[in-house]
Amino acid sequence: MTNESEKEAASNEPKEAKRLNQIMLGLAGLCVLFAAWDLAMNFFRAGTDDLFLILTALMLAALFAIPPAMAARARAKAERAEGVEEEHALEVHAEAHGGSDRQNVFVWGGLLALTAFEVFLAYEQVNLTLMLIILMGASIIKAALIVAYFMHLKFERLSLILTIVPTLVVLLCLFSILFPDSRRARVLRPPHSVEHVEGSSGEK
Amino acid sequence: MAEATVQAVPAAETLGTNDWGGGTFPYRVGHRKLGMWLFIMSDSLTFGALLFAYSYARFSSDNWPTPFKFSPSITFSTSMTLVLLSSSLTMVFAVSAAKRRDRKKARLWIFATMLFGLTFVGLHLKEWMHLFDEGLTPFHLPAEWAEKWPGASPLFGSTFFGITGLHMFHVITGVCYLGVIAARIRKFTADDVEVSGLYWHFVDLVWMFVFPLIYLLSVDMTNR
Repeated sequence: MTNESEKEAASNEPKEAKRLNQIMLGLAGLCVLFAAWDLAMNFFRAGTDDLFLILTALMLAALFAIPPAMAARARAKAERAEGVEEEHALEVHAEAHGGSDRQNVFVWGGLLALTAFEVFLAYEQVNLTLMLIILMGASIIKAALIVAYFMHLKFERLSLILTIVPTLVVLLCLFSILFPDSRRARVLRPPHSVEHVEGSSGEK
Repeated sequence: MAEATVQAVPAAETLGTNDWGGGTFPYRVGHRKLGMWLFIMSDSLTFGALLFAYSYARFSSDNWPTPFKFSPSITFSTSMTLVLLSSSLTMVFAVSAAKRRDRKKARLWIFATMLFGLTFVGLHLKEWMHLFDEGLTPFHLPAEWAEKWPGASPLFGSTFFGITGLHMFHVITGVCYLGVIAARIRKFTADDVEVSGLYWHFVDLVWMFVFPLIYLLSVDMTNR
């Protein structure tokens, strides 16, 4: 449905596509508003649950914003198409299998530097929560570098990128729906549960 | 075969497809590469689920052992990371050599990648042996650890060996896969080399999450 509307967006945007993009933008705005409302009203009173709710709302907003952004991109491309020669030169450049050996060596150096930084942090014994946040940030940057340059995804067609990356990000984020439970499991566990389980192993 | 696909793609481009339009080549990649990407997506969900389960178990336990001493464990795992990153670089060179139709060089670079992969497996097994020597098994903590970290969850061993074991299995599979590609490189196209490279980089990528989450968050610095 969106495919066809986007296809024609470049030349003269039909009415339906325009409406669809407006609806999508509206939904994205609603999601952002919901996140802001939750932040203002609760301000992480429920801890990780609130964090999850806000992240999910922002993620949905980003997803809804993709089709209008694509349409805007197509329109800008169509407007730029007057300078045809430049456009052609750009495409030829993108076609040239992007990513020279030199660039890949630079990426490798960057990955090594990030790893060294991580190990240094572990050596310095930073506070565990801060450490987890920094390490996950560094790992996500490293993963992005590997996927973009080594796995060549940066130089693939946008439709392939948009098929793979948002799907994975959303699915992995949805795993965290279970995560707030881990805190509750700790509180709900009866006291001395370890001894209890060991003593009555025959019961279960 | 390679020539045919390379020729076919620009021809299809002239049909007037765009980023959303689809057409003959909606993604501008061959079916093997698309299949590998789909496999990578499902496999990263497998590892994602395992790492989430590990974090859940750790977060909901009263105590969690942080037993990795800097001198054998962290130095070993850091050098394993360097080895795996370097193997990714040699794999990139193999793919670009294959794209230049330089099959001999591509084969040499693939052999270098396999060598790095085998080094990784060797170092990892050595690192496992350290832990076995201390008395860690998948289902029981060593007695000293239980004293040092009272109430520590015995899930430490199962999550550790489960996650690193599955990753090591992927590395060994990757070495076998690359071995087949290198041995019969005359029969394979540059696309096939690239697809095997995708798998290898994915194995590298997973380690980029396993290494900090399992090792760097469990460093024992009490007596350096």
